[in-house]
Amino acid sequence: MLIFVQRLGRLVFVFFVVTFVTFFLLDQAPGDPAERFAGLNATPEVIEGIRAELGLNGSLIERYLRWLGNAVRFDFGDSIVTRGFSSWDLIRESLPKTLELMVFAEIMAIGIAVPLALASARRPGSFIDKASSSTAFGLLALPAFVLGIYMSFIFGVKLGWFPTIVDNLPGLNDDPLDNLRQMFLPSLTLALNLVAVYLRLLRSDLIETLQEDYVMLAQARGLSERRIMWRHVLRPSSLNFTTAVGLNIAGLIGGAFIIEVLFAINGMGRLVIQSVILEDFNVVAAVVAILTVAYVMMNFLVDVLYSILDPRIRHAAR
Amino acid sequence: MPLVEPGATGAKTETEAVAPIKGGNPGQKRRLGLTFWLSAGWIFTLVFLALFRDILPIRDPDELGIRTREVAKFESPGRNACGGGDGQGRDMFARVVQGARPALILGLTVTIIGGILGSAVGVTSGYLRGKVDTVTTVFIDIALAFPGLVLLIAVRATFGNSMFVFIVLFSLTSIPGYARIVRGASFALSERDFVDAAAAMGATKRRIILRELAPNIALPVLSFAFIGFALVIVAEGGLAFIGLSLDETTWGKLIADGAGDIARHAHVALFPATVMFLTILAFNLVGDSMRALYSPREVATQRRLRVGAMADTGSGDEVLYIDDLFTALHTPNGDVHAVDGVSLSLKAGEALGLVGESGSGKTMILRSIVGAFALADVTRTGTVEVAGVDMLRAEPADIKRTLGTQIGMVSQNPLTALNPVRLIEHQITEPMLVHTSMSKSEARTRALELMQQVGIPAPERRLREYPHQLSGGMRQRVTIAIALANEPELLLADEPTTALDVTVQDQILRLLSDLQRDRKMAMVLVTHDLAVVKGFTDRVAIVYGGEVIESGPTEQIFSNPRHRYTVALIQSMPNLDLPSHSELTTIEGTPPSLVSPPRGCRFAARCPAAQDICNTTPPSTNEASEHWFRCHFPAGDDAEGAA
Repeated sequence: MLIFVQRLGRLVFVFFVVTFVTFFLLDQAPGDPAERFAGLNATPEVIEGIRAELGLNGSLIERYLRWLGNAVRFDFGDSIVTRGFSSWDLIRESLPKTLELMVFAEIMAIGIAVPLALASARRPGSFIDKASSSTAFGLLALPAFVLGIYMSFIFGVKLGWFPTIVDNLPGLNDDPLDNLRQMFLPSLTLALNLVAVYLRLLRSDLIETLQEDYVMLAQARGLSERRIMWRHVLRPSSLNFTTAVGLNIAGLIGGAFIIEVLFAINGMGRLVIQSVILEDFNVVAAVVAILTVAYVMMNFLVDVLYSILDPRIRHAAR
Repeated sequence: MPLVEPGATGAKTETEAVAPIKGGNPGQKRRLGLTFWLSAGWIFTLVFLALFRDILPIRDPDELGIRTREVAKFESPGRNACGGGDGQGRDMFARVVQGARPALILGLTVTIIGGILGSAVGVTSGYLRGKVDTVTTVFIDIALAFPGLVLLIAVRATFGNSMFVFIVLFSLTSIPGYARIVRGASFALSERDFVDAAAAMGATKRRIILRELAPNIALPVLSFAFIGFALVIVAEGGLAFIGLSLDETTWGKLIADGAGDIARHAHVALFPATVMFLTILAFNLVGDSMRALYSPREVATQRRLRVGAMADTGSGDEVLYIDDLFTALHTPNGDVHAVDGVSLSLKAGEALGLVGESGSGKTMILRSIVGAFALADVTRTGTVEVAGVDMLRAEPADIKRTLGTQIGMVSQNPLTALNPVRLIEHQITEPMLVHTSMSKSEARTRALELMQQVGIPAPERRLREYPHQLSGGMRQRVTIAIALANEPELLLADEPTTALDVTVQDQILRLLSDLQRDRKMAMVLVTHDLAVVKGFTDRVAIVYGGEVIESGPTEQIFSNPRHRYTVALIQSMPNLDLPSHSELTTIEGTPPSLVSPPRGCRFAARCPAAQDICNTTPPSTNEASEHWFRCHFPAGDDAEGAA
């Protein structure tokens, strides 16, 4: 259990650092939000009033702590630009789309990478190994937006199988078919970059495990190759892979932002970019906070998964 | 992934061992291949175009073709404009060349600044270790964990996007990646001899860092620098794509501008996208080729079990019958003839000791029986029969059934013989569930019995534990229990006690021997310990250089050894009958190469009685006799000689 507490401690630390740094940076921005909010003809008294109302008075630390206290209750302040909406309203609308994109991408990436890595590692140097390794190398050189352009050109324009723009996305519960059809290309684009990373890592770990004594003994016991690969080899080889999944979540968030812009998905990425350009800093800070929490939670889940996969970690923590 | 995100590609670099240049194997010459030169050529061309754009015949990137009529609106790529024209008739080729400038300038500055700062951090923490290292590692971990893009967006909101802001920010974010690579490399290096030697000779720490570590770290860093360069281009492109562009003609911006019209005028987006893809690919390829110069060779061998034709069969009552078995391992340095014409046979209830130095091929004989070679590329020829089943030519299903039900195997190291992530219970019951019709609960009951038989206390509890919770001796008992699961007729034990504590060695051997006698199993016991052979086997085969050089009943081998190697082996045994402080004899020299074995007797080079014929002609022998040997000038007083 101790190890969980340590990991959680570190992740909470990351949360505070990220949110504080963001808060600090936004505070340095030129321009006074209270003045903007009040409009051109406001008297200094009115501006002062708004300042108090928006919680803009006091020292930086004071304001950060106040913000943090409100944030715990999902109160991130009003959006200064879209009056009448709170930051949380805007996030609640866009968050599910971003999450869906990331989850689909992760599922697709693992679903493609694991079988390919198993097939490659079984016969290093075979056609499937060489083909998948070079494809992975090529994919690493394709940034999400370049790959996305190719994908929508091939599958959207030339073949016409999927729409190139996500338009009026129905909820996953309301119309799952239409939702999946629209989200397919974006998710796949995001997934393929991950496939490249996962495939290379898992393949080399699988090859290492295949040379272990216990695998030799499993072969000597006359077990089928499929059973050996799935039951004996995959799990001990998936430890670094699990770490990589955690490490890549930060990258996945960034990738999702780009995909949202490319496929016109109204997710958190587009929201935050818009807010930055319109200097709607309450929303920016809120998005950063939510994403950091999501990031921290996902990494914690990866840690838990890691210890389930490796009993040695579980018992070392006792 | 926007922002220099070493987490993405860095995950792969982490697992790679960094082989130092001084300690590398000098036999293999490594070369930069064609892909390297093509990639370098692409990068060079790009730099050249970007540098001399003004004096080359390239159009003004902002000149509107719809006004000058030189390039048509959305003109397709062709002779007039190789990249085509955009919506306002601007020459896409000129715009892409213009866009190369910010990408290259940013990439270069960030790589230099980040590389130098990151390397400094990495070397310091990797070499000095201690608290410095702990602090740095935590810092690196947290920095790598940062959702970078989010932070960047916040910075952009504050400071706007100037080249200066981008350089500072990207440099800062690229430091952890370099630091980690360099830290790993210097960590590995600082443990190596030449660094210790320099320290012993009184070199100061600073001197060691500069003189010894730097050259060995330079290549990994340089190779990562190219990959890092690509990461910067990707990051800058990503930011530009989402609307945070440095100026009007960055690659990311060009792609974003074209993306909206992809259905009708795809080339406006595809042209810059492809140039960008090829550029990133080129940088990655250059970095990768350089990494291949220092990283150890990957396992690139393919597992193929080739089987020769023609089979002799045994007389029928043997549990194990091996005739003229050859096993060759195909390696990049040539074929290793690990088993070279070995014949053995074993009846039920018999125990055979396979004795030899390490590397003599005794373990490979066992592996050739079961055909398990990990990923090595192996050819087996000759005959191996277990309980009448031809292990080289029978149907795969029959071979698997024989492996699972007739053979039990115990390997050398119990610490690596059990799967660390599976419960003991699953590992013991698996052979029963796979190869017999036993139900889960029957298999569990049998597993409990087996564990009692091999002497594991509290078997109920042990079944629900993982290997790491057991001691070495207990783990070896578990592997024995697994080997016995399906009541095999043949037990193969590969140095079952070498990795164990001296105090449990004898217990395990007694256990094996008792089980073998009670169950009338045939057993092959591989060992280099003659005392073990004397105590636990009926017959002995002495293995040297992939061959069996002497074979016979255990008693006779010890009372009347004939081959000079056997004689030397027995003399090197500690003997309690001799007065204390008597010197033990050792055998001078090293075993022969299995890649190109000597032409004559394999032991000739180390043999005290060797004559000319020993170097030229392999000694013949009659393997049918009970006690036989391969030697031109055997030891012992009877003048029989080689048959």
